[in-house]
Amino acid sequence: MPKAVKLALLLAPAFGLVVVMMSLVIWRAVAQSFGLYNFNGEDLLSLRHWAEMFATRRYWNALEWSAYVATTSALITLAIAYPLALWLRKPFAGSYLLSALLKAPYFVPGLVAVFLLLNVIAFHGIVNQALMWLGLTDRPIRLQNDRNGYGLIALQVWKQLPLAFLLLQGAVQAIPDPVLNAARDLGAGPVARFRKVVLPLTARAMQAASILIFINVAGDFTFQATVGPTRENSLATLMVQYQGTNYGDWNAAAVVGVTLMGLSLVGAVVFTALVQGLTRAMERA
Amino acid sequence: MWTLPRLQTLLASLLTAVFLLWLIVPFAMALLWSLVDPGTPWSYPDILPPALSFERWTLMWETTTLSTAMFNSYTLAPVAAVTAIVLAAPTAYAFARIDFPGKAAAQIVTLTPLVLPGFVTAVFFASILVSFGVYSRYGAILLGHVVLFIPYAVRILTVSFAQVNQEVINAARDLGASGWGVFRAAFWPVLKPGVLASFLIVFILSIEEFALAFIVGSPSFTTIPTILFSYLGYDFIRPNAAVVALILVVPNVLLMLVLERLLQSANPANVSGKG
Amino acid sequence: MPGIDIEGVAMRFGQVDALKDVSLRVPEGAFVTLLGPSGCGKTTLLNIIAGFLAPTRGRVLFDGQDVTGLRPEARDTAMCFQSYALFPHLSVQENIAFGPRQKRLERAETARRVTGLMEQLGLAPHAAKLPNALSGGQQQRVALARALAVAPGVVLFDEPLSNLDAKLRDQVRTEIRDLQRRVGFTAVYVTHDQAEALAMSDTVFLLNGGVIEQSGGPRDIYFRPRTRFAADFIGAANLHDGPISGGAMDTPFGPVPVDAPDAAHRTLCWRPEVVRLTEAGALSGKVAHVAFQGGWLDLFVTAGGQTLRLQVSGTHDIPEGATIRFDIPREAVVVLKDGANA
Repeated sequence: MPKAVKLALLLAPAFGLVVVMMSLVIWRAVAQSFGLYNFNGEDLLSLRHWAEMFATRRYWNALEWSAYVATTSALITLAIAYPLALWLRKPFAGSYLLSALLKAPYFVPGLVAVFLLLNVIAFHGIVNQALMWLGLTDRPIRLQNDRNGYGLIALQVWKQLPLAFLLLQGAVQAIPDPVLNAARDLGAGPVARFRKVVLPLTARAMQAASILIFINVAGDFTFQATVGPTRENSLATLMVQYQGTNYGDWNAAAVVGVTLMGLSLVGAVVFTALVQGLTRAMERA
Repeated sequence: MWTLPRLQTLLASLLTAVFLLWLIVPFAMALLWSLVDPGTPWSYPDILPPALSFERWTLMWETTTLSTAMFNSYTLAPVAAVTAIVLAAPTAYAFARIDFPGKAAAQIVTLTPLVLPGFVTAVFFASILVSFGVYSRYGAILLGHVVLFIPYAVRILTVSFAQVNQEVINAARDLGASGWGVFRAAFWPVLKPGVLASFLIVFILSIEEFALAFIVGSPSFTTIPTILFSYLGYDFIRPNAAVVALILVVPNVLLMLVLERLLQSANPANVSGKG
Repeated sequence: MPGIDIEGVAMRFGQVDALKDVSLRVPEGAFVTLLGPSGCGKTTLLNIIAGFLAPTRGRVLFDGQDVTGLRPEARDTAMCFQSYALFPHLSVQENIAFGPRQKRLERAETARRVTGLMEQLGLAPHAAKLPNALSGGQQQRVALARALAVAPGVVLFDEPLSNLDAKLRDQVRTEIRDLQRRVGFTAVYVTHDQAEALAMSDTVFLLNGGVIEQSGGPRDIYFRPRTRFAADFIGAANLHDGPISGGAMDTPFGPVPVDAPDAAHRTLCWRPEVVRLTEAGALSGKVAHVAFQGGWLDLFVTAGGQTLRLQVSGTHDIPEGATIRFDIPREAVVVLKDGANA
């Protein structure tokens, strides 16, 4: 059997399957956003669905909201995970337990995380019970689905923290002690060591972490639908609304879906540039 | 290195306590809520539920679709895992042991299901199903899970295949082993932890998967996560949610712990005897 | 260029004493070696001089100034690490410029030093490369250049040649010694390789179990070992136990002459290459095994169940099984301090 044929046969089941299915899915989303595969009428290649969507306020709100929640969550998660990773670089008494606990959310499915949070902040949750017991309020306060999305962002950060922590911890621990000692020996104090050695050597992990978190959060449906502000939509919840039984408008859903993919891409590019810029600025400063 | 040890330990204990509390308290409450007797409700100002019983569990089992959902989830997951492993193995072999142009790119492309937003994949996968007139929810979700999670199996098995020592293969051949004999002597011992790890990870992820099961399956086909979703959110039915959340999380956490062990023992130094 | 004084330094890690009361003096501009097996405390001592470790007890002085509490970044030292510890994200040029930039040297001066060092060490063609694009020998030179770029008074070497192959090791060894003479710095060199220590140093400090076993010039430490450990660790040694009377010790090979008073029980030591083959020799034995090493022959000679190792010129052709006669010069035989009954 020729080598190329053998290789093709080996790659077909998994690589081939992924390529075929993912291309079909992406093509389907793009095509439907331009009016093809129209389930409610004739297939017609047009910009109509985009134009209609651009005129819809809910669309822009959802785009803005998803971008806002994703950016905020990514920045907060990194801001928490990075110092922790640096701090836990060297083991000390209790550091293993803490590391393990930081990774725990990874084991908890998103829906269960929602449930745990609701137990704390619901009408009859711990916080309200405590407030009432302390006499600070005589009626439960509405904490669930708060208008500013604090609960939502907190939950996102909690859920994404293990990913950021794992990536950053790996990068930080991969810096050999002698390299840091060499920098010290050559006159670099703690701040200079961080700026000139640690930061550049962990930039890639930071990039990867921020991009993955941004994409994960931007595409969120579950958290938004359960603990997010009720007057807001994420792109995913909006897309499901269009596609779902309420509207059955697949083409509109496709426009939102393609927008979501676009947002992920833009987020990846922006965060790459951001981390690179930050690293370079710190190195020069 | 930069902080005083005493301060460090203090801070670590404090954080540990906060994280532990945040995990333990809600889980303990979940357990309590799932055991609240439906006849005697638990409300302010009772600190603990007035009566405990398994009534809620039996009620859920008998009156809701929970049993069907569990059946669906727990039959989908192993089938998806086995299918993913069988399909992933040849590609993993190629990635690990054959050099070909564009290999790095192919490996990255294989990861696309992981970065494409889950609900986009789910919605347009559903759209394709409509076009092709596929009505088997079970088959559709199975296919979806295989595609979504096969990247994990490919990655883990690629590492495993790469650890197979060429000298051991040569030695087995040299000593007259046939194709099957070579596989058993040189490949299987090294692959075994990877295969088990792949099985567990696809199994766990399939049980937890929500987007595809929700979009493709609703409203007739339920899995454990879609049931849980229906009890959360705006109309939060806490005792029911507590039961389903426990059913979803407890077995998976146990399996995750097994997986951690496996991935540690799949360390190259332990398997191939080569550092 | 400071001289270094170590005064009563001890270091304890948990339950382990890595160093027990070590004192030594490194004269200004000298090249000294800390030699010993792994775990002897030599690297710990080096890290204490660099400031990476604070000793449990004792003081470190540079030119009489106590620097024990001084942070490494503020000390007049630069280290060459065993793993080179190059900054993987910086080019060769930037690696070398790291120290001068930290010390806020003028740009022109930094550039002059970097270019000069790259020139001297043959790194100029690789200036823009990243460390992982270099060979081991080149990385070693970058590490050396990086250390020298801060014009340190003291350069600390932590087994810098252990990752190079034998031929390269000889070459870099000579280069380091040349640079030290030309540039002028006090050098403290840690190694477990006795050949390296003997070839490079003005003074060798032999460490064992956290204490200095013996110190002295290379010749002194090689030919006049004072303990069994010193005799054994540095090269091969022949040992005899027994009484000394009339300036000799009786052995199965014959009388071994020694310049020492009579005593009931002593241990004598001499090096294999001090032997002289002569027909009129006072000692004799049977050649059990011959190993031709090119430049020399290793002879394993037995008598009365004991074996000696002799080293003679490779031009000799001695068959196994032959009986040979030989002499040992009296001045080449030493009495060990920790020998029998001493």
